[in-house]
Amino acid sequence: MALLSVRSLSVEYRTARGTVRAVDDVSFDVLPGETVALVGESGCGKSTLGKAVIRLVPACDGRIAIDGTDITDLPPRALNAVRPKVQMIFQDPYGALNPRHSVGEIIGQPLSVAGWSRADIAARVAALMDQVALPREAARRYPHEFSGGQRQRIGIARALALRPKLIICDEPVSALDVSVRAQVINLLKDLQAATGIAYLFISHDLSVVEHVADRLLVMYLGRIVEGGRAREIWERPAHPYTRALLAAAPVADPKLARSRARSVLEGELPSPLDPPPGCAFHTRCPLAQPRCRTERPPLRALPGGRSVACHYDLLGAAAPVDRAVPIRASA
Amino acid sequence: MTATIDFARRFARNRAALAGFALLLVVIAFAITAPWLFPRPPLRIVGRPEVWPFLSWRFPLGTDSLGRDIAAMVAHGARTTLLIGLFASLTATLIGVTIGATAAYFGGWVDEALMRFTELFQTIPNLIFVLTIVLILGQKIAYITLAVGIVTWTPIARLTRAEFLTLRDREFVQACRSMGMGDVRIMLREILPNALPPVIVLASLVVAGAILFESAVSFLGLGDPDVSSWGRLIGDGRTLIRTSWYICAVPGIAIMLTVLALNLIGDGLNDALNPKLRDR
Amino acid sequence: MAPLLEIDRLSVSLFTRAGVLPAVDGLSLRVDAGETVAIVGESGCGKSLSALAVMRLLPEPPARIVGGAVRLAGRDLVTLSEGAMRRVRGKEVSMIFQDPMTSLNPVVPIGAQLIEAIRQHNPISHRAAQARAVALLEKVRIPDAARRLDDYPHQLSGGMSQRVMIAMAIACEPKVLIADEPTTALDVTIQAQILKLMQELQAASNMAVVIITHDLGVVAETADRVAVMYAGRKVEEAPVEALFERPLHPYTRGLLGATPSPARFGGRLADIAGTVPSLAELPAGCAFAQRCPLAFERCRLERPALSAPLPHRLAACFATEKEFSRDGAPVGS
Repeated sequence: MALLSVRSLSVEYRTARGTVRAVDDVSFDVLPGETVALVGESGCGKSTLGKAVIRLVPACDGRIAIDGTDITDLPPRALNAVRPKVQMIFQDPYGALNPRHSVGEIIGQPLSVAGWSRADIAARVAALMDQVALPREAARRYPHEFSGGQRQRIGIARALALRPKLIICDEPVSALDVSVRAQVINLLKDLQAATGIAYLFISHDLSVVEHVADRLLVMYLGRIVEGGRAREIWERPAHPYTRALLAAAPVADPKLARSRARSVLEGELPSPLDPPPGCAFHTRCPLAQPRCRTERPPLRALPGGRSVACHYDLLGAAAPVDRAVPIRASA
Repeated sequence: MTATIDFARRFARNRAALAGFALLLVVIAFAITAPWLFPRPPLRIVGRPEVWPFLSWRFPLGTDSLGRDIAAMVAHGARTTLLIGLFASLTATLIGVTIGATAAYFGGWVDEALMRFTELFQTIPNLIFVLTIVLILGQKIAYITLAVGIVTWTPIARLTRAEFLTLRDREFVQACRSMGMGDVRIMLREILPNALPPVIVLASLVVAGAILFESAVSFLGLGDPDVSSWGRLIGDGRTLIRTSWYICAVPGIAIMLTVLALNLIGDGLNDALNPKLRDR
Repeated sequence: MAPLLEIDRLSVSLFTRAGVLPAVDGLSLRVDAGETVAIVGESGCGKSLSALAVMRLLPEPPARIVGGAVRLAGRDLVTLSEGAMRRVRGKEVSMIFQDPMTSLNPVVPIGAQLIEAIRQHNPISHRAAQARAVALLEKVRIPDAARRLDDYPHQLSGGMSQRVMIAMAIACEPKVLIADEPTTALDVTIQAQILKLMQELQAASNMAVVIITHDLGVVAETADRVAVMYAGRKVEEAPVEALFERPLHPYTRGLLGATPSPARFGGRLADIAGTVPSLAELPAGCAFAQRCPLAFERCRLERPALSAPLPHRLAACFATEKEFSRDGAPVGS
């Protein structure tokens, strides 16, 4: 049974210049123990989707179910009973921790809210700090005394406090240095191996996603344009936008970078206030046809657990992939 | 602990603020020791009227039109003035923080309604409002304090609201909501401690403002007749301002020094609590 | 052949309450016309300060150039007066910054900002400058250029704003362009556009480009040569392919191992234990020793100087020196 089940979810919010449909009719599942990555560029709605799933922002349409329980309209008290199953870690290691609380207090907060006793909280906090490789004496210190990577660990420890089954990771490493990123990514993977926790991993950085994702959902202007197993999508993307994303992502290999044929995607990201009619991507799509301008392509299933929202998806034709990268099997 | 030491060090870097703090301590010292320094009731007539200051050891600051010891009245008045300033500021802070925080946290029509309410209070001329309240409720020190508090809360409300609005969307607040924390706890224990520093600075300036308000009220003869506040002393000396002007000047200087001290402290607090200036 | 830009043992210090911090310590780098040199490192390594030092745009307290020279076509920029330097900025060496939203003046239309940049070094009429501004916007591929002159920065997207910044930087055809994290704040597809644009502009004018970044992918895509910085010092320099193929300095190896790449798909990223030492507490020997898997006694006591274990390569590492002296290759700068 799916741990997280989202059906036709839409999120709108009103700004001074009009209504923005940040998430538009999104459906997907996350199974226990797997890592599903949400990728896309600015304005694609991935962060909003992450917050909507735990009802930090209100959805205007659709349903969300966690472990079988429909939480879309649950009143606060009932919702609090379900909240422990899904927790979140945030992008900004400097904004995600209250500067006035000690590290121990921060990590223990979910337990305190859940009504645990002081002694139990202290014990659990110590265990959590061990789990994320933070020294125990750090519990008495304050966030500003720690580096970005350590603060992110504190955030992870806090998210683990109530033993959630799913953690939504909202750009958890984007604000960190390269070497620190590796530490945090490795930590997340180790935690998953040890506890079987699932991740909904939101990121704009494809190379990071490469290392963590089992399945991938590509978003553009609030809609899912492609979904499926990560490796299959890297090797043969079905949606022209996915192909463009893969082609655009810099590759840390000079020979490869210079040898591959780079077709750069032209044009700007349309404003979410005024999305193009029909297929949202048609204004920049090299394969756009008249039909794409008028008819919005539904997300349809392809063989092998893949899905794509495109009238003329790339898997139909034997389209060459710009990212001619042979993905070697992991060690 | 280190946070407090850190704060004290940053505060001490501002020489003017240190001077203000020292000055305020002197005023507070007088207020506290008044009953021992001047054991007799200050409003008792103790000597010849209109004795100039610095002329006799018995009356170092002279006597007023009725022969009362000005030094005694100023010392006892210090206590009154400081207490009024403190309580009026506390009242204003309580009202202002509550309104500002509620407006910002809940947003929507709550915000609209509370902001219109705030603007209403802002548009009424302050002094007239205070006098009106005092005349309605009565000329007692408690009512005067309340009146001043009611008039001075609006800037605190606006500031609190601005701070809350910034903090409300911070990720650590989102984290708290995602763990099921209730709104009140978030407001009081998560956001408020972070919003307080600039509010504290403003509150210290409100103390100064409250003292000036009370002085104005008492000067106009509408203060509490049983209490010798500094404003009242100035008021009583009004008629002799051309000849024995010291009767007005002495308490006037006392007010000025106290307000100056509070302003300097406010500046120092601002520097000490403002994280952006931390490493200068 | 004399290099176009030669940074010669440049040192920049930060004068703070915590003491004098050696933010850039003896950096030497040469850049020739038409080539792209990347300066790579993580936060606090001194790469941005080096760029600002070349442009003489350092925030004067707390930073100051305390040693070395920066020679542009033979002339030392460090010793120039502010007036003389102003004639150099924009005309001979230009800089573009990370966040285009904050680098453009928000209350002035972009046309006016461009025209100002043009007329700074060219005594031409407003009308002529305006025509040149339109041509520049077209050169950086902004559609509908003439109409865009009246737009304000907030009306432009991130990619557009960055193009405007590039236009302003190349307006007077500088010999050297310094780009400080030019695409970090941009979306992936827009980043690809901007990098491609920069490469095209460079090819057309034979401009030298110094690109500062923490992203090894960008380095692989754009650079001819790479200098790696750590804690204010240059620790390695190499042609780009050689650097990725055979990194010599343990820090470079660590960085590459920590960078996700297709070859390591799904595997474990190597992480570098520990954290960067604070500039106020730099150790006596090699700054990287406490985190280095190859460190031995000498590393902790003595600071390694840059040596050339292989032709055209530099590395500041005793372990590397040892390895190559064993192989018989000459060691020494």
